[in-house]
Amino acid sequence: MKTIKQISIFLENQRGKLSDILTALKNENIEIQAASVADTNEFGILRLITSDQKKAAQLLSDQGNLVSMNEVLAIQVEPDTASFTDAIDALTAGGCTISYLYTFHKDGKLVLIIRPANSLEIAERIATEKGLTLIQGWE
Amino acid sequence: MNSKYWNEEIETMPRKQLEKLQVERLKKTVEIAMGSKFYAPKFKELGITPESIKSVEDIKRFPFTTKNDLRATYPFGIKSIPLEKVVRLHSSSGTTGNPTVILHSQKDLDQWADAMARSMYCIGLRNTDIIQNTSGYGMFTGGLGIQYAAERLGALTVPAGAGNSKRHVKFITDFGTTALHCIPSYATRLAAAFEEEGIDPRNTTVHTLIIGAEPHSEAQRKRIEEIWGAKAYNNFGMSEMCGPGVAIECQEQNGMHIWEDNYIVEILDPVTLEPVPEGELGELVLTTLNREAMPLFRYRTRDLTRILPGDCPCGRTHKRLARFQGRSDDMMIVKGVNIYPIQIEKILMQFPELASDYLITIETVGDNDEMTVEAELAQATDDFSMLQNLTKEITRRLKDEILLTPRVKLVGKGVIPQSDGKAKRVNDLRNNH
Repeated sequence: MKTIKQISIFLENQRGKLSDILTALKNENIEIQAASVADTNEFGILRLITSDQKKAAQLLSDQGNLVSMNEVLAIQVEPDTASFTDAIDALTAGGCTISYLYTFHKDGKLVLIIRPANSLEIAERIATEKGLTLIQGWE
Repeated sequence: MNSKYWNEEIETMPRKQLEKLQVERLKKTVEIAMGSKFYAPKFKELGITPESIKSVEDIKRFPFTTKNDLRATYPFGIKSIPLEKVVRLHSSSGTTGNPTVILHSQKDLDQWADAMARSMYCIGLRNTDIIQNTSGYGMFTGGLGIQYAAERLGALTVPAGAGNSKRHVKFITDFGTTALHCIPSYATRLAAAFEEEGIDPRNTTVHTLIIGAEPHSEAQRKRIEEIWGAKAYNNFGMSEMCGPGVAIECQEQNGMHIWEDNYIVEILDPVTLEPVPEGELGELVLTTLNREAMPLFRYRTRDLTRILPGDCPCGRTHKRLARFQGRSDDMMIVKGVNIYPIQIEKILMQFPELASDYLITIETVGDNDEMTVEAELAQATDDFSMLQNLTKEITRRLKDEILLTPRVKLVGKGVIPQSDGKAKRVNDLRNNH
């Protein structure tokens, strides 16, 4: 499957928690490409795309964090709102619903990180059928 | 003896008849306790006389006795008979204040040995067995209490005593020991000692373990049975009541039969001291019916348990106590509701998404008590709504159990503070506590 790996870290609402995680990555020279925090009053989930996902996951897990690794779609589009809209419309037209999404810029392009609400496989097939550019890999 | 019972008449006595026996023995015990400087004035004040007792329900008229009473009257303040008729005493360590002393007449010792022999017989031990005791022989009742009972049973008794696992291994191997009396943690340690000698404990002659004097779970028992390839039976005793021999599991391994010819059993709400509804959790309160040197009335054991409903397939009519669920001292009162940490723990353990640590915090917010339950997540997930639903579901199940709605907070690893390697369970920050 053409997907990339994302790491998710459980965050309790605690002062300094995020800083501890970032410091650990910094000390190991792991670069963060994209980050997103979803939160409630009680807890949050930090989602990360880094330069070395395997190493980052191991490091944060050793530090005592609850870390999970999972697959997400990474769709590359031109860095403008029109292209962003087209990509989302294409997915929606194909019957894909989105659980969450965040974006970042890479090599002059806009990258959409998408976790479909339904099957990842179906979403990937829809994206491919609609001619969207999927990024694979980057460990 | 081919019978299933040590004393069939008593063990299978119809409830009505058993209660009649209890009433007779309660009258007799009151008569004896009139000789106690501790009880006599209380009985007088409350109008308690042997003649005034008509049914087991009359137990409600009696005053309670606590461990503090035993301490305050140390050493002989509660005795009911002259000291020359007392032949032995057992004593607790007294690490927290005065030790407590329990006195025994020869008759008390005979009755105790008989009750524990009955317990041994109940789990299938016979005079052909070789019973090795790993309890200390001294002030602790697990030594002599088991010794006299095993002798009464007619078994060959090995008074090996506490400690020195190597020696235990040698004795078990050389003598062909078939039954062990030990605390649950020692059962595990002794098994390890066998393994060090290159012997699989399952290949020894031991087929039965009598375990008690230390709280343990069903899972621990299963583990002990597995490593020993033997049956392990939960045995309950406390020195205040005599020692081991108060209650034991039968071969059904479903609740401990408490010998009601020797004790009146009450399960009470630890705050109101009123009986809890049948089958519900409360404090075990016991009255001795077959002791003379130092009978105790409505002794508050502080142990939390409940009576298992229904008849036992083994045919014994004596009530069954569920596995103990902590101490009444652990109880919290939140918004007027009595709550035990074990109730919360029990619910949390039903969620595979959670690890074993949790912390209950109670705070005063405005004029109200608020409870927060922090529960440790076992695994990370990217599924946000799963975590939200989990929080909701835990909240709902806790509310069903404790009747108030706590705030549930999922936390990661290592967030719940540890003290002395043991997790702290309750953090009461209320102004009046």
